[in-house]
Amino acid sequence: MSQIEKLISVFSTSLGIPEAAVTDDLQYNSLPEWDSTAHMVLISELENQFDIMLDTDDIIDMSSVRVAKQILGKHNITFE
Amino acid sequence: MISVNALPSGIELAGYQVSLRPVEKADLNLLRNWRNQDEIRQHMVSQELISEEQQSAWYQKTTRDLTQRHFVIRYRNQSIGSANIRSLAPGCALTEASIIEPGLYIGDAKYRNNIVAFSPTLLLNDYCFYHLNCTKLVAKVMPENTAAINYNVKLGYKIINQDKLVEIELNKIDYEKSSRTLKSLLSRSPKT
Repeated sequence: MSQIEKLISVFSTSLGIPEAAVTDDLQYNSLPEWDSTAHMVLISELENQFDIMLDTDDIIDMSSVRVAKQILGKHNITFE
Repeated sequence: MISVNALPSGIELAGYQVSLRPVEKADLNLLRNWRNQDEIRQHMVSQELISEEQQSAWYQKTTRDLTQRHFVIRYRNQSIGSANIRSLAPGCALTEASIIEPGLYIGDAKYRNNIVAFSPTLLLNDYCFYHLNCTKLVAKVMPENTAAINYNVKLGYKIINQDKLVEIELNKIDYEKSSRTLKSLLSRSPKT
């Protein structure tokens, strides 16, 4: 599974939405499924699947799929 | 763990990446502009526009009032919103209060739909339960404000009455249970 497939799968599973709905523009609180509870599940799944530890600034900043990619990029995870 | 510092102008709280400092005169224009925005005002019980004179009188009164405290929410060296706590028993100082009503809004639109919006609430709730030793927090929310109701329910609040306003309340045990994970995410150490 590529990194982008893994990322889409994590968002889809954590938020309980179809993979097709996981686009760069998808934002926190833009749909009922991505609320604070789902955000906590999402953070935990990202950390487990990509074997990273996010700090609180990153957890706060992770407000969209696009930003998530940028934050994971700081951990040398790329999505080319 | 939150920090509580006594300043000449009141109490400053810090934790979960944000701080709450006492409202100062220099904050009044910003606070009034936020409070008079439609997006904020529509969720208030009193929806009238606040004039400079009304606000000035309010400021004079509240700075001497031991039954309430008003704060500016600060995040990354910027003011992003307003928070307050008040004792529900008439004339009862906050330090003696068993029931406290907290309130807040995020004025900076950039942070309204962001997980950091939970931080000032966690900070206020910790201060009320662990420093002021109150037993219960209560709030009244407009029924249309489902975002605020959902937000508070996630923090452990229970709906106790639904009429023209939705009355909600939170005890310490429910708060501790409901906020544990959120607190752990919002209080991780910054990268060194």
